[in-house]
Amino acid sequence: MLMPAADAAIIGRRKEFVAELRKMVPGEGVIDDDASLAAYECDGLMAYRQRPLAVVLPETVEQVSQVLGYCHREGLKVVPRGSGTSLSGGALPLADGIVMAMGKFNKILEVDYANRCAVVQPCVTNAAVTERVTSEGFYYAPDPSSQIICSIGGNVAENAGGVHCLKYGTTSNNILGLQMVLMDGSVVRMGGKHLDAQSLDMLGLICGSEGLLGVVTEITVRVLRTPETQRALLLGFSDVESAGACVAKVIAEGVVPAAMEIMDRTAIHAAEAFVKVGYPLDVEALLLIEFDGSPVEVDHFIAMVNEIAKKAGAVSSQQSNSEEERKNFWAGRKAAFPAIGKISPDYYCMDGTIPRSKLPQALRKISELSDEFGLEVANVFHAGDGNLHPMVLYNADKDGDLEKAEQFGAAILTLCVELGGVLTGEHGVGVEKRDLMEVQFTEADLDQQLRVKCVFDDQGLLNPGKVFPKLRRCAEGGKMHVHHGELRFPDIERY
Amino acid sequence: MGEVFRPKNSDEVSSAVKDALNMKASLELFGQGTRRSLGRPVKADASLDMSALTGVQMYEPEELVMVVAPGTPMREISQVLIEHNQQLAFEPPDYGPLWGLPADEGTVGGMIMTGRNGPRRLSAGGVRDYVLGVKGVNGFGELFVSGGRVVKNVTGFDLPKILTGSFGTLCAATEITLKLLPLPPEAATLVVSGLKDGQAVAAMTRVLTETSIPVSSAAHLPAEIAKLSRVDSISARQNSATLLRVEGFGPSVESGIQGLKKVFGSLSDMFVLDKAETQQLWKEVTNASFFIQTEKPIWKLSVPPSEAAAIISKLGKGLTTQYFYDWAGGAIWIEAPASGDAGEAAIRGTLDSVVVGDGHATLIRASEEVRANIAPFHPLSPVLAAVEDRLRKQFDPQGMFNPGRMYGVRNAN
Amino acid sequence: MGCEMQTSLNKVQHCEPEIVASEKAIRTCVHCGFCLATCPTYVLLGDELDSPRGRIYQMKEMLEKGGAPSPETVKHVDRCLSCLACMTTCPSGVNYMRLVDHARAYIEENHKRPLMDRMMRSFLAFALPRRNLFRFLLRLSPMGKPFAGVLPGRLKAMVSMAPQSMPARHESESPQIFRAHGERKGRIALLIGCAQPVLAPHINETAIRYFNRLGMDVIVSEGVGCCGALPHHLGKVDQSHEMAKANIRAWIKEIDGEGLDAIMVTASGCGTSLKDYGFMFAEDPEWSEPASKVAALSKDVSEVLSELVLPLPVDNPRDLVVAYQSACSLQHGQKVTKEPVQLLKAAGYRVLEPQEKHLCCGSAGTYNILQPEIANQLRERKVAALESLKPDVIATGNLGCMAQVSQRTDVPVVHTLELLDWAAGGPVPAAIKDSLLTENGD
Repeated sequence: MLMPAADAAIIGRRKEFVAELRKMVPGEGVIDDDASLAAYECDGLMAYRQRPLAVVLPETVEQVSQVLGYCHREGLKVVPRGSGTSLSGGALPLADGIVMAMGKFNKILEVDYANRCAVVQPCVTNAAVTERVTSEGFYYAPDPSSQIICSIGGNVAENAGGVHCLKYGTTSNNILGLQMVLMDGSVVRMGGKHLDAQSLDMLGLICGSEGLLGVVTEITVRVLRTPETQRALLLGFSDVESAGACVAKVIAEGVVPAAMEIMDRTAIHAAEAFVKVGYPLDVEALLLIEFDGSPVEVDHFIAMVNEIAKKAGAVSSQQSNSEEERKNFWAGRKAAFPAIGKISPDYYCMDGTIPRSKLPQALRKISELSDEFGLEVANVFHAGDGNLHPMVLYNADKDGDLEKAEQFGAAILTLCVELGGVLTGEHGVGVEKRDLMEVQFTEADLDQQLRVKCVFDDQGLLNPGKVFPKLRRCAEGGKMHVHHGELRFPDIERY
Repeated sequence: MGEVFRPKNSDEVSSAVKDALNMKASLELFGQGTRRSLGRPVKADASLDMSALTGVQMYEPEELVMVVAPGTPMREISQVLIEHNQQLAFEPPDYGPLWGLPADEGTVGGMIMTGRNGPRRLSAGGVRDYVLGVKGVNGFGELFVSGGRVVKNVTGFDLPKILTGSFGTLCAATEITLKLLPLPPEAATLVVSGLKDGQAVAAMTRVLTETSIPVSSAAHLPAEIAKLSRVDSISARQNSATLLRVEGFGPSVESGIQGLKKVFGSLSDMFVLDKAETQQLWKEVTNASFFIQTEKPIWKLSVPPSEAAAIISKLGKGLTTQYFYDWAGGAIWIEAPASGDAGEAAIRGTLDSVVVGDGHATLIRASEEVRANIAPFHPLSPVLAAVEDRLRKQFDPQGMFNPGRMYGVRNAN
Repeated sequence: MGCEMQTSLNKVQHCEPEIVASEKAIRTCVHCGFCLATCPTYVLLGDELDSPRGRIYQMKEMLEKGGAPSPETVKHVDRCLSCLACMTTCPSGVNYMRLVDHARAYIEENHKRPLMDRMMRSFLAFALPRRNLFRFLLRLSPMGKPFAGVLPGRLKAMVSMAPQSMPARHESESPQIFRAHGERKGRIALLIGCAQPVLAPHINETAIRYFNRLGMDVIVSEGVGCCGALPHHLGKVDQSHEMAKANIRAWIKEIDGEGLDAIMVTASGCGTSLKDYGFMFAEDPEWSEPASKVAALSKDVSEVLSELVLPLPVDNPRDLVVAYQSACSLQHGQKVTKEPVQLLKAAGYRVLEPQEKHLCCGSAGTYNILQPEIANQLRERKVAALESLKPDVIATGNLGCMAQVSQRTDVPVVHTLELLDWAAGGPVPAAIKDSLLTENGD
């Protein structure tokens, strides 16, 4: 994975930078010894590693502001980091940059039940928000599988979803406001406990911006009333097409469940071996549908969808009649990733979105690619919204396997775009999918996005080498954008 | 004044914009021009009439997605959706009659560009949560694509969010992808009479924080406003009306209403509106129809619900007797005196002191003169204003699109 | 990307089970980060370096590089409580315990600590396992208490933890068989421990009385001493192995003699250690089998009770609110979570568990002496969580937790077994009696 060429002059000034940074963030807050930097060299995407110049752990907004302002003046790159669980390399450091690790920003500042929101620091974990408000009958809706540890700040950066985002939306639909520090050190607040932007929807823009536009220091999140009851259906189908068709029929009936997930045979078997919850092993696809709400409503929809499923050709059907049974249905799905980890030395978890109706097509083509590349693949699919997680199984010890897996992954994502979908539904572009951006976007599309980047970070110091495959010089407003030949760093036209 | 471009497709839009760029001309963007009364009046050298880009380009009900051209009348889209039992969940308002225009004449482009939301925003989100993709021509004359047709999409920046509600100041949208939801089969509203402001907001808050009843919208009409409702059972009461809507399938609505009744208890003066009355009433709330008869300025405030009653009490009866609450107190509609600054100083000053930056006031209706002289949109903090200014330049370097519509006129290069 | 960490540990040492286990642990880690969520030091400090994932990384670097470890790495490994909450959370089954044990041993061998540190650690490893010496030193400690305020962190921690008054020595310290009452139904060896008999001899006293009543001979064997956990967690492997061998020798004699139904532990910190004896001597031809036999018989008192077929006596149930503090060694180290709660409930108590029950109280062996700042923060957190349940009594299965928590709360803190014994007609647990007296204005 090629990153922007490191600036030797910057690296040469390391001692000076560390000394200055230590003045701004005292104590253990600046790390520069090699043994410690190692632990920060990657996030959840282990394939790519790079030790940064130093790691800074600020404790206050003031410190964040001072550090960023300093880096801006010195031309020092900054990579923000939350819990370090990104699956797309969003927190991959740069050799000539610092990592700004936000781990000390881990407090829930306020819970405001009357206004149905909470104000949290960016490294509060997703699950911690729910845990805090659950005794009062509330919860925080977006529930990515890594919710035990993934941070709210990271959720904002990646516009995280989760299995229940079908009904409750993604992070973008569940935050009301945030405070952010810009690369030049200025602190800005957008939104709050009120609804609707007063002018342009900056809040919406920052969500999903993968740490490229600023460092978020505070987030106001919506909390919802915990549903009265939840029940799930576990439906087995003899082929994926029927499972997909069942989903379409459910939607066509005007029903939007809380969650709909499909697992293919490989995933089912791996999950069952791992958690042993009683998944049927003789089906090609399992469809897990969940409803929540009042008992009257939930019972009605469970019965209704059961009927739909029967007509759609479900070969097995189980309903949860207790909370334990419902959790059991989910246990396999939620353990899908580590379960796959048990059946394969290594696996590469992809993340792409397709129009739901294209699922059978997508899976057929993925199966062909699997034969072509000689690598097995297990599929887990957010059936409700078309977000696909193919897991490519490989062995890093085998020469060339990693490269093959990456090529297979790239082929899958290209397929997603070809079918009318997008490269990434919730993991973000990061470094992983950066070089595929031109599969989905034209130069004009990317230019417009890069212009937005210029608004917030005119020197390109915040999280460089992520999301966009090309740099552009941030010309003054009014001029046409500069063509590649006139770039300040012509050797970085393409990394 | 000046040339009127009326492109028929996105290429023609691009050419028109490039022509305007070369001429260094500013452009007023409009569909049917029904929403000109929102924001500052625009004085531009030429016009870009988007009404010829019309029609539903794609509609897949079982995928809950629709792609439309900006000039498509909202009427047409509503019709198609109703036929398939689907809806735009955020209840896009039609303020036409408020502005003295016929009802329902607007286009979908105007709808997303003005970014206004109805009562169901409380539970279902706003228009910004339902625009999945926008294609448009920026102020460089380039056609660009942002977003897509799928909900789970974090490929690059979420430009559809920044374009929605941008009042045509960032680009000329040529294609919009919308997320749809099913139409709930049944609906009913519990009306509680006689509550005072503070009691009403507290009651709505109690429902939303202490029960799990899926209330889709919650509003409170003080007596003066309730009298103006066209729903007889509301106006006949001659009293304030606190409104809680429950939508869904029959038994669910039934049990929801029963649950709500329990919250208020047998001593409350309550009655239930059926589906038809519910639709009629909430349309009034959505469109603020209560203010049609007067021509006074109207403001919509967006505040933390807990502060709603305090704001009104601070504003005092001196300013207005005509106001009502929506979004369980998160929105306050206020009719202001016609003279002077249309209440701007009083309203914004009150907001500043009560919510200290956490809330805003938008001018929904006022004469052209008033709108030219005060700020229809709530002033931004200096840092945010600077960021917005830079952002506009990066979409529209010459400041060509709808100059001054949202804030002061920027000096073009 | 779910690929494993690659390792290149020194191939020369590859035969040793520690190396193999460490390498496996490292390879199994997929860097998912779930362990950060339940790690006490990460929860407090927010630094990847103080998380299991980060420590795995640092330990990997240290072991691969060889030579003297970086002082920073030593600092962060020292901060690990070995609470093993990470192992409970890890979805991939990384055996973190093996890795950190190995790392500690490596550090002990390859890192020269500052003199004061070395002395402190040697002192702890020497004195604490030796009951008489420990008792003697504790009797001296009141002399240090007035100076506690000016003592540096660790010394202050030690001195402030010393009890106000020393309990009398109990006869259970002397090797003997405590005979079952009535018909003998089984033989159970009791590990009396090192610190426990000195600081809280009533726990062993209660165990003997209770099990005698159940018809068990309780055997305190000659030659059984410290389980070895203490020196083991300080990286002093030779010492811990010697202690383990002494215990194994003694119990094999019993096993080969009249036989044993269980080797019972009342301090769960020791239980984890005993159950690991098999691994400790896995490659040792002479000790491997006896060690495994001993490990297989080792059980926590709550496990022994749960596995007994006889109904347990409940003559005097009390409707008290018990806040159950699940010791790390029990819930994470030994995966014993339900048994104590079920036993207490069956005895008639109302049992509540606190928020963040997976988080260590900060005792962690000698951790509260060596890392007082972190230990104190964890203690405050734990006590707040327990007290918010408004309990009548706090019960736990490990002496360390009892000592740690009771320092900061007025709620009586007892061993789970004391409550079971009380419900069976035994005496009022001392801590409860004391607190009642205090309440009555004594």
